[in-house]
Amino acid sequence: MGRHLRALLLPAAAVMFTAGSSGRDWDLWLMLLLIPYALAALARSLSFRYRFDPAELVVRKGWVFRSERHIPYARIQNIDAVQNVLHRALGVAEVRVETASGGEPEATMTVLPAAALTEMRQFVFSGREQAPVDVQASPAEDSSEVILQLRPSEVLLYGLIESRGAVIMAGGFGILWELGIFDRAFERATGSELAGGGVFRQMLRAAIGQAAVSMRAVFITLLLFLALLLVLRVLSMAWAYVRLHGFVLRRTGDDLRVDYGLLTRVSGTIPLQRIQTLTVSESPLHRLFGRVSVHVDTAGRTGTEEQPTRREPIAPVFRRADLESLIATLVPSVSLTRVDWQPAHRNAVRRARVRTGVLASIAAIFAAGVLKWWSIGVMIPLALWAWVYGRQYVTHLGWAFVGDAIVFRSGWLWRHLTAARFSKIQVITRTESPFDRRTGMARVSVDTAGAVNSEHTIDIPFLPAETATTLAATLSARAAETAFRW
Amino acid sequence: MIPAETNTLVADGVHRSLDSEWIELQRLVGWIACAVLAPLLLIGLGVALLLGSLSFDLKLLLSVMWLAVTLLLAWLAQAWPAIEYRRFSYALDPEHIEIRRGVIWRTLTSVPKSRVQHIDVAQGPLERRYGLATLSIYTAGTEFARVDLPGLTYARAVAIRDWLLPGRARDVDDGT
Repeated sequence: MGRHLRALLLPAAAVMFTAGSSGRDWDLWLMLLLIPYALAALARSLSFRYRFDPAELVVRKGWVFRSERHIPYARIQNIDAVQNVLHRALGVAEVRVETASGGEPEATMTVLPAAALTEMRQFVFSGREQAPVDVQASPAEDSSEVILQLRPSEVLLYGLIESRGAVIMAGGFGILWELGIFDRAFERATGSELAGGGVFRQMLRAAIGQAAVSMRAVFITLLLFLALLLVLRVLSMAWAYVRLHGFVLRRTGDDLRVDYGLLTRVSGTIPLQRIQTLTVSESPLHRLFGRVSVHVDTAGRTGTEEQPTRREPIAPVFRRADLESLIATLVPSVSLTRVDWQPAHRNAVRRARVRTGVLASIAAIFAAGVLKWWSIGVMIPLALWAWVYGRQYVTHLGWAFVGDAIVFRSGWLWRHLTAARFSKIQVITRTESPFDRRTGMARVSVDTAGAVNSEHTIDIPFLPAETATTLAATLSARAAETAFRW
Repeated sequence: MIPAETNTLVADGVHRSLDSEWIELQRLVGWIACAVLAPLLLIGLGVALLLGSLSFDLKLLLSVMWLAVTLLLAWLAQAWPAIEYRRFSYALDPEHIEIRRGVIWRTLTSVPKSRVQHIDVAQGPLERRYGLATLSIYTAGTEFARVDLPGLTYARAVAIRDWLLPGRARDVDDGT
């Protein structure tokens, strides 16, 4: 119920606000149409009833169009629970029950007492012949194995390495800009009045040589900018702390259990069977601290609703040294030691350089327009960058067959490695762009389930044309040999 | 590639073309699009010319551009379908269905039989006029959750659908 009303609240408020200010009556009338919808949503949630039968969960909803759904405990794959502050205060949780078939959760109970959740987990897990798992399980009580437990220092490190809550940061930044905070801070710091147009425009004019700005002012502005970046990082760390406090990843039989959150407590299960692809990511900051970030794609969730259990990486920050054991747990058939990486086409470096060079040229043209003669200072580094990046990108490009999976790595500074088992491959494509045709290359990509938010997929560019054909054929054959189970 | 006149379905992995009526269908679609776009652009041009603060040279240039774009659209409508037809084919083998398409960007898409979730055979009003249908193969994938194969006669589309679906009986989703 809360979810539906919340979804309507913001648009309704927006409509009311704009209708009032511009005097358009039809907006208000439109809003009246929302009322029956809201009432219907309300009625639907009030009609929600459930009970625990000996072998199944029975869920009923609807007044006019009634439905009764039976979900055998043996078929339940996941029970995900989210508790925000209000939920925890009242001792309830929002629970989503999923079976093996993909799509939306089969049952979503928005306010379920915690005791009932425990009971349901007992029913479900005893139905699958496993030890019952408590809502607030302590490692000593149940038979699960803790894979990863993030201490507060690790969580803060995660906030430092990644910049989380980027949208909020950008929003905050935008608001500050609008309010002229930056301009006032500049004036206060340098004691000089701004000629007009704000801090950044002033600096830009100085760069072009049209206005005289003291070096001191420039220096202080740079300092302020750096201070801002620092503040953003600190905010990111705070956000990470709130979001991932008490992060524990456990393995219970064939499932992974993940619990985290300071204010909103999230508790989710991921059956190992449902892992479609595994991606290991490294940014330069990760490498500095010897960490990696591990994500998995899971099947069965294609809805656009908020999916808190799926948004976070399965191992947000993890020691690189222990990576092998984590992968052995998540995807047992894959081992990343001694991988026989296949390289790209030998002309790939040239193409990569050209590709980066084109982008660099566009940037250089802009710079030339703005900075005129000074743009030489921009063009030379850009050209050098294109030269170096092209080579490095191709050096770090590779694919290989490992166990019963295909792995693909790419990226020089921001590195990613993705592994997909043959049994999880859905569709294979081999593509030739006109540039590919001219250089005798092709691209092979593999589509898997649940790759909605993936930063990195098996999408291999710059392959020699023959190799691409063979690879596509091999992947098709391997995929056809294996059955796909959700 | 073997032209698609045979009625029997042979899963031999040989690539077959679409039904040749597809060219006419695409031409029709192209001309309709042309008939909609050109007048719209003409209106835009008229507005630009009449709002008149442009030099004569610029007005001439815009008019010539409109003419060029319209001629291009007309050519695309008439000539492109035949060009695309030559590069559009599909093949069935015991384990997969493979689709090749694309003139400038050439793609080969391979869907293993065991990955087919469900199939639609659909006919739009224009397709019905030519006796053609589009086969839509749904998979569990993300980018390729749906793979379309147009330009099939209705009978052939149904035949391919029936051939693809029984294969799923081999691996049953029993939820464990």
